[in-house]
Amino acid sequence: MSQFDAIVIGGGVNGLVAGTLLSRRGKNVCIIEKSSRFGGMASYSVDGGPTLAHSLYNLSPRVLSDIGIDPQHPVLSGKPVSTVSLSEDGRHIVFKNEGIFWSEGAKHPESDAWTDLTQQLITYGGLLRQLAEAPPPGGQKAILSRGGLNELLRLAKLGIGLKKLGKSEMRRFLQVILSNVHDIVIDDLPEGPVAGMLAADAIWGSATGPRSPGTVFNLIYRLGHGGNITQPAGGMSALTDLMVEAAQKAGCVLMPETEVSRIVLHDDTVSGVATNNGRTLTAPIVLSNLAPRPTSRMTGPSAFDIEAMRRVRIIRARGTAAKVNLRLKDDATLPGLPSELAHERLIYAPSVEYVEAAFNPVKYRQMSKAPVIEAFKRQTADGANWLSTIVQYAPSDIEGSWTETAKEQLAQITVETLSRALPGLGDQISGIQVITPDQIESATGAPGGHWHHAEMSLDQLLTLRPANGMARYSMGPKGLFQCGAATHPGGDVMGLAGRNAALAALEAQA
Amino acid sequence: MSIFTDPKLGLIPGPFHKRLEEQNRAQNWYDWAGYAAPGVLDSVEFEYFALRNQASLFDISPMHKYRLTGPDTTTMLNRLVTRDIRKIGVSRVGYAIWCDEEGMVIDDGTLFHLGDNDWRLCCQEQMLTWLLDAAWGFDVSVVDETHSIAGLSLQGPTSYAVLEAAGLDVSQLKPFDLAHVDHDLMISRTGFTGDLGYELWCDWDEAEALWDRIWTGGAHQGLRAIGYEALNLARIEAGFLTAGVDFQPVHATERLHRGQTPFELGLGRLVDFNKGHFNGRRELLSKRETPRSLLMRFDVEGFKPSEGSLIYNRRKKEVGHITSGIWSPTAKRNIALAHVRMPDAGRSSGLKAEIYTLQEGKWDTRMARLTPVTKAFFAPPRARATPPAHT
Repeated sequence: MSQFDAIVIGGGVNGLVAGTLLSRRGKNVCIIEKSSRFGGMASYSVDGGPTLAHSLYNLSPRVLSDIGIDPQHPVLSGKPVSTVSLSEDGRHIVFKNEGIFWSEGAKHPESDAWTDLTQQLITYGGLLRQLAEAPPPGGQKAILSRGGLNELLRLAKLGIGLKKLGKSEMRRFLQVILSNVHDIVIDDLPEGPVAGMLAADAIWGSATGPRSPGTVFNLIYRLGHGGNITQPAGGMSALTDLMVEAAQKAGCVLMPETEVSRIVLHDDTVSGVATNNGRTLTAPIVLSNLAPRPTSRMTGPSAFDIEAMRRVRIIRARGTAAKVNLRLKDDATLPGLPSELAHERLIYAPSVEYVEAAFNPVKYRQMSKAPVIEAFKRQTADGANWLSTIVQYAPSDIEGSWTETAKEQLAQITVETLSRALPGLGDQISGIQVITPDQIESATGAPGGHWHHAEMSLDQLLTLRPANGMARYSMGPKGLFQCGAATHPGGDVMGLAGRNAALAALEAQA
Repeated sequence: MSIFTDPKLGLIPGPFHKRLEEQNRAQNWYDWAGYAAPGVLDSVEFEYFALRNQASLFDISPMHKYRLTGPDTTTMLNRLVTRDIRKIGVSRVGYAIWCDEEGMVIDDGTLFHLGDNDWRLCCQEQMLTWLLDAAWGFDVSVVDETHSIAGLSLQGPTSYAVLEAAGLDVSQLKPFDLAHVDHDLMISRTGFTGDLGYELWCDWDEAEALWDRIWTGGAHQGLRAIGYEALNLARIEAGFLTAGVDFQPVHATERLHRGQTPFELGLGRLVDFNKGHFNGRRELLSKRETPRSLLMRFDVEGFKPSEGSLIYNRRKKEVGHITSGIWSPTAKRNIALAHVRMPDAGRSSGLKAEIYTLQEGKWDTRMARLTPVTKAFFAPPRARATPPAHT
């Protein structure tokens, strides 16, 4: 008799979601986490500084209801923030739901064009969301089985949804979906900060530039839940705490500070896990929230076919986003920014060309000298003021490795870049934290520190995610499942990968 | 995986080339993995009967040879091949096949267990990239020895006597044993003829000296150098398969569904489902009971070689084809290896081969009845006797 019905390795967002869902369906579940904190990348922070993730835009309401969290919970009641594109001349541009405005209040001339384009992409995102909320199509189910019919129905819905767009819209959808964001944006908007903002939103976290194919898909993906950006009340860790609470309420056994050393197999079937402290926990189902490669390391390559291991080791995951947290002096303000905009989402992406140029050095394992930046001003629990920034591009495999000098250079570049639009920012800073992709990898296990564990490119999506032959969350031995961001539909504090994996595990048992 | 050699190079001389050239009255060279290999040296008849009645020497150096060493080698190889190689003791040789993830045979070959976690794989197809893929994640080193190890196959009833005359004592070697005799010379009691025979392995630059030593030893034993055509007759009599002829190595196929499972090739005995995971195991479990076709051995009516013939069932529907077919001089039977589709392979009565004949400018066909045979067409007890007889 096994101790548990299922064991989840890795207590990040997807692991918590998978475990909680299984628990709520009557399974006896244990979630094992290496560090002392649950929440993975979402809640990882250094010395009480801001967390890695600092906003929500893709959290799935379906996931919340599946794990018993009320979408109206106070933590989630933060109102959507606007995006502010910072400008060197002090005329910042504010992107709101109702259009674009200059920071002094007047309507921006490109407002209508931007709204039209964004709305169109949101419509497409809604269509694709049905694909995200289920395992990717093309399983081996008999078409007349219940699962097979459901799958057919889902695809039919997508088809009908496409049809409903009308002929010219449908044609446009099929035209843009595989395209690059540069071409699509420049068709409708003049080059400049408005176009630059869309280009930036298409490349966060990925090793692509606006001219890379598939970047329109990334932008649509980001807009999959309507495009609203919120911040949980109390920060990201409040959200992950809420998830931990949901897991406990559902009856999950949580094991922090426990590292799994091995997944135990018997006769091509999972029988449990062995931990570093010498314990063996038994269960017929193991869900790994790790990327495929570290997962296969825990079983040993013998458990998989040679072709499967080859696919696993060539999955591309090259993190390009660093986290730079600027500690602000008490009562500091952001110079050059009207105070009512201080708590919005700030980005520095003055044009599509700027974003593309920022991407170029990454190809040669260099950091951007003029990076694209997303920043939030926020207060941590201890009352300290921070400017929490994501700096793109800073590759995980930088030439010469991430030495202290390289980190200092990245910090300096970040401050200099922001100072162009916020002159005098440097004087407001009392300390800097630099968290590079390699550091994210060693802290969370995400390959290359990539926040999707595997690049979201067309060759690694849907039935090819994380790799051909592994798209249905199972992976070789019976009872072994993957539930992490490397699986369909990816990361982004969305939770759908974990949910889909848990449902796949339940289905396999039925 | 076709073997590409630069046509400007022409055929490359192998380690025994000078000696083969001296013997080569027929001037019939063919391309074996880029090397100039003899199809016939003198005449097929002379060479075949030397093999079955005296002793024969055949250069097998163009075979691909890979040395696998390192602490994980046994584990890595056991995941690669379908049989349990833990049952192959040190100083033993095992025949093995390996499959892709769909359970389709990639190639067959022999595994020489040279020492603890020290193996040599010898096979027909180029396998380096596949072995490197298979070794990923294991502490194993893979070295391609194809061009540094020479191989010589000494086969026939007097082969033991030839070795004895050459001063090499192999009296203790049982079939599939191997031994290091002298420095740098390894002898295994293996072969591709179903007869008494040995394979001799040495460094490339010692090859000619080895040839001369054996040649001198064979002076009074009727030893003759032979080409591929004679060997091919012998291997069909023994019921052995040739890659690319009797089965399609799946990595070399471009069309869908041309690969074959071990069960379809009659090699199910080499698949061990109880040893743990191996490549293609999950697919083979589900394909075990549902072969699409079977590789069969047939006695063919009449005496016309049936190679390449189509096979028809009672209702005159085409159900397969002959892959290898010869008149067997030793068995005195017309024999064939063939692929027959299910379900006709299961019934297997009423099958006929349509053999095309050409006699002095006149083409004709005849329908030859096929009678299934389960055992090898020729399997003499002398092949297994230890110590072997001198004649």
